[in-house]
Amino acid sequence: MEELPLYLQSIIAALIIFGAIFAFIGSLGLAKLPDFYMRLHGPTKATTLGLGAMLVGSMVYFSVTKGSLTLHEILITLFLFITAPVSAHILSKSAIRSRIYDSTGMVEEKTRELF
Amino acid sequence: MTPLLIVLLPFVGLILPIILARHSHTAATVGALIPTTLSFGLLLSLAGDVFAGEVFVASWPWIETLGMNLSFRVDGLGMLFAILILGIGTLVVLYAHFYLSDSDPRGRFFGALLAFMGAMLGVVLAENVLLLAFFWEITSLSSFLLIAYWTHVPLARQGARMALAITGMGGLLLFAGLLLVGHIVGSYELSAILANGALIQGHDLYVPALILVLMGAFTKSAQFPFHFWLPNAMTAPTPVSAYLHSATMVKAGVFLLARMHPALSGTPEWFFIVTGAGLVTLTFAAYVALFKHDLKGLLAYSTISHLGLITVLFGFGTPMAALVGVFHILNHAAFKASLFMSVGIVDHETGTRDMRILGGLRHAMPITATLATLGAAAMAGIPGFNGFISKEMLFYESWKLPFIENEWVVPVIVTVGGLLSMAYSVRLVIDTFFGEEGDTPAKPHDPPFGMWLPVALLVAVCVVVGVYPSIAEPIVNAAALATIGGVMPEGYEHLSLWHGFNAAVVMSLIAIFGGAAFFMLRHKLFALAERYWPNLHGKLVFEGLVERVVDATRATTASLENGSLQRYVMLLIAFVVAAGALPFFLFDFAPGNLPATELEPVTIVIFGIFVAACLGVVANHKRRLTAIVTLSVVGLVVSLSFVKFSAPDLALTQLSVEVVTILLLLLALYVLPKETPSEGGFSLRKVRDGILASVAGLGTGWMSYMVMTRPQDSISMTHLEKAYYPVGGGTNVVNVTLVDIRGFDTMGEVAVLAMAGLGIFALLARLNPEHIHGVTRRVLDRYPVMLTSATRPLLSLILVMAVYIFMRGHYLPGGGFIAGLVATVALIIQYMASGQQWSSERMPVNFRIMAIIGVTIAVLSGATSLALGKPMMTMLVPLGEPGTVMTLYFDLGVFLGVVGAMMTILTSLGVLSRPASAETLAHSKETNPWKP
Repeated sequence: MEELPLYLQSIIAALIIFGAIFAFIGSLGLAKLPDFYMRLHGPTKATTLGLGAMLVGSMVYFSVTKGSLTLHEILITLFLFITAPVSAHILSKSAIRSRIYDSTGMVEEKTRELF
Repeated sequence: MTPLLIVLLPFVGLILPIILARHSHTAATVGALIPTTLSFGLLLSLAGDVFAGEVFVASWPWIETLGMNLSFRVDGLGMLFAILILGIGTLVVLYAHFYLSDSDPRGRFFGALLAFMGAMLGVVLAENVLLLAFFWEITSLSSFLLIAYWTHVPLARQGARMALAITGMGGLLLFAGLLLVGHIVGSYELSAILANGALIQGHDLYVPALILVLMGAFTKSAQFPFHFWLPNAMTAPTPVSAYLHSATMVKAGVFLLARMHPALSGTPEWFFIVTGAGLVTLTFAAYVALFKHDLKGLLAYSTISHLGLITVLFGFGTPMAALVGVFHILNHAAFKASLFMSVGIVDHETGTRDMRILGGLRHAMPITATLATLGAAAMAGIPGFNGFISKEMLFYESWKLPFIENEWVVPVIVTVGGLLSMAYSVRLVIDTFFGEEGDTPAKPHDPPFGMWLPVALLVAVCVVVGVYPSIAEPIVNAAALATIGGVMPEGYEHLSLWHGFNAAVVMSLIAIFGGAAFFMLRHKLFALAERYWPNLHGKLVFEGLVERVVDATRATTASLENGSLQRYVMLLIAFVVAAGALPFFLFDFAPGNLPATELEPVTIVIFGIFVAACLGVVANHKRRLTAIVTLSVVGLVVSLSFVKFSAPDLALTQLSVEVVTILLLLLALYVLPKETPSEGGFSLRKVRDGILASVAGLGTGWMSYMVMTRPQDSISMTHLEKAYYPVGGGTNVVNVTLVDIRGFDTMGEVAVLAMAGLGIFALLARLNPEHIHGVTRRVLDRYPVMLTSATRPLLSLILVMAVYIFMRGHYLPGGGFIAGLVATVALIIQYMASGQQWSSERMPVNFRIMAIIGVTIAVLSGATSLALGKPMMTMLVPLGEPGTVMTLYFDLGVFLGVVGAMMTILTSLGVLSRPASAETLAHSKETNPWKP
């Protein structure tokens, strides 16, 4: 494999590390946050951002090494950006249905208003 | 070509009466007559040459590797039988036209009759003995349909079942016997078998082969002790009895004796078994016949008796006896069919067949009375009728036997048989047509012309042959020649009425006058029989035997199958463990000496997750939803490991299978309890299952390890060579293997998948989720807007991907199977997001039909190469450009089959989880805690 110029290496490395940090933060949030609705933020927001960053890094790397623009990652990003919010929505909806309440009592209050 | 057409015409033509029966009764009869007469005409066009001694053999290869050819042989014997089958068949069709009532479904009757006719023709004209056995089984099956024609009558069903059991069993034994004979000779063609009689008789396997073949003949021809199915089959409509149970099917057994005569006869074994069975049947059945009050019962036993007589003749093994046997087959067919039809007329017009009620019908039915009396005279063996001549020849032959010391034994027994035959013939006529007029349910009168015409024609044959026997000479001589195998018997010149005063004349006189005297004493005999005749019925013995077999089978099944799914899984895995343990003991337990590949961090991480997920499934197995989610992790890791080891095709397949499977499991979970019920604490069963599971898992792992550490030639090399472009027409070895090299496997798998889909649909079609115990019906609100609007653009996106994967499949990872699963996912997402109703309104596709179409396309594209003279599944058929090989169409079939089957399964299961209908919704408002 031929050596990439340093600035490109730096950009790609930064993107991947940035992505990895956000993915980790997302997972940590999933594990540590106190109630369901808070935990939902981790994998759907932070991790999505992290994955997006990694995909951009991958795009840069393959575009440079192959010498032409690669767009596979855009497709993956597109799918990811569709599925993440939709699943977050469905999950929170099911949670409300299943009478899972948050620690502040806000959800409970709103739910009672709704039904 | 002609022999093939003769046999095939009735089969092809059986659709005619079925279609025409909707039109009118006459149309159905004409529809049945067309193939019969066409076939008869073709047969008669060969008759002249066959009588002159020619043998037509025509052969087409069929399943050559099994030695089974579509070969036919028209010789004298086959010709005699074919004339009986088609001649009497035509008369029976005509007779049945008047006999059947308006409510009887005629299409079914004539259809089954024609199928039977074709099968019989196949039996008598087959040159290949395997083909003979094949048609033999069809006669059993079609006669089952005919006997049970009045399906609402329990006796008819029982009789049909018994006939099928006995003759079907005999057919299998015959098949085994013919296989042995073929093995001895080295060919299944009759020409070879008939020419090698000495070889067969000298072989060690001669006796087993002989016994098996004879079992086939005896069951079919109702020889003692297998005779009892025939009287019970008399529940069939009378045209069927006249056709099957007097003229044709029961003659198949004696036909077989005649057919195999040159190859098997002439040994002491043949003589004692065949003659012995024949003599017992002849006298025993004649005696029973005398005591039957039912007209058809009497005729049934008399038929058994006469079949015994023919069997006796073939058993003698001498050329002259064989000739007489053939002659009596012809005579018996003529008089017995006519008598059955006469009895049918009596039954039809008076409403009863009981001779204790009937009487004096000669005034009301003069024509029928005359015809029946003439037929009975032939049966009794009165001079001037055909039955007399063959019986007299039998008496004469019975003095010239081989292998026997007391030469008077056989003549005495056959004379007694003749005497009884005379007695029951007289009884048939006197008790029905003479004496006092009986009090019958209906007022009798003669039937329409069309109904008694067939009887008259048959009776005419009896009389003409009886007075002027040499008219039958060409056909009898030709048939006898084929039976004997070449040379006519010494001293035989012509069939004639009078052979001079000899022992046979004396025996005939004893039989006729003795029989008459026996008849006079009948009332005393009836009284005696009532007191002393053992009350033993073959039917009861048989039914008891069947019941015991059924009970034993049920007990065996019940001991294995108790309804517990866990138990079945346990048994299956136990079996797999036992089968898998075999190689360990055959070889050894040591691993091979191939060095292990280097461990990479990625591998360790992937398989670490894999192991953790597996343990997670076990740990969480009680909470089913969690278990399924954990299980999907296992599947994804497997998919990743395929990527790691350079198997992109497998990875793609695994991924799509995984998605669909998890969907299926989730849908099924909807109607199941969410948690596995507790199995209680420690139990021996848990220990047993734990040990079994561990042994199975560790055994599989160890076996893989042993295989992978041994150096051996990978089969992938040969596949790679075959898949290479000029041979397999593609560069993707997996796809080429699937659609070409092992295309048959794929075809079978897709067919199985489609069947599974249809099966699940059939099982769930009538299941109402409201009735499933323990299912809480959740009332959903609207389908979530975000989900529905996000999934709609996805449909086209994923479908485009499916097409892409499909099209590139032959050269790059992909193919019909993967594309099918991807498309299934695309469609099922719509069902999930927008609901069953919304989706099915927009997709008016019957997925069951799609699955069937898919399988059909796969089969047809595989069969295309047949048309070009290449073996099936030769995919590289040149159809223009190299890219347009049949594989594409085959893969299309696979694609449609997968989509159709999977969608059928998923939507069937999905119906169970659909939200409650508006009606249920309204109903459940009060009980629903979510609605105010």
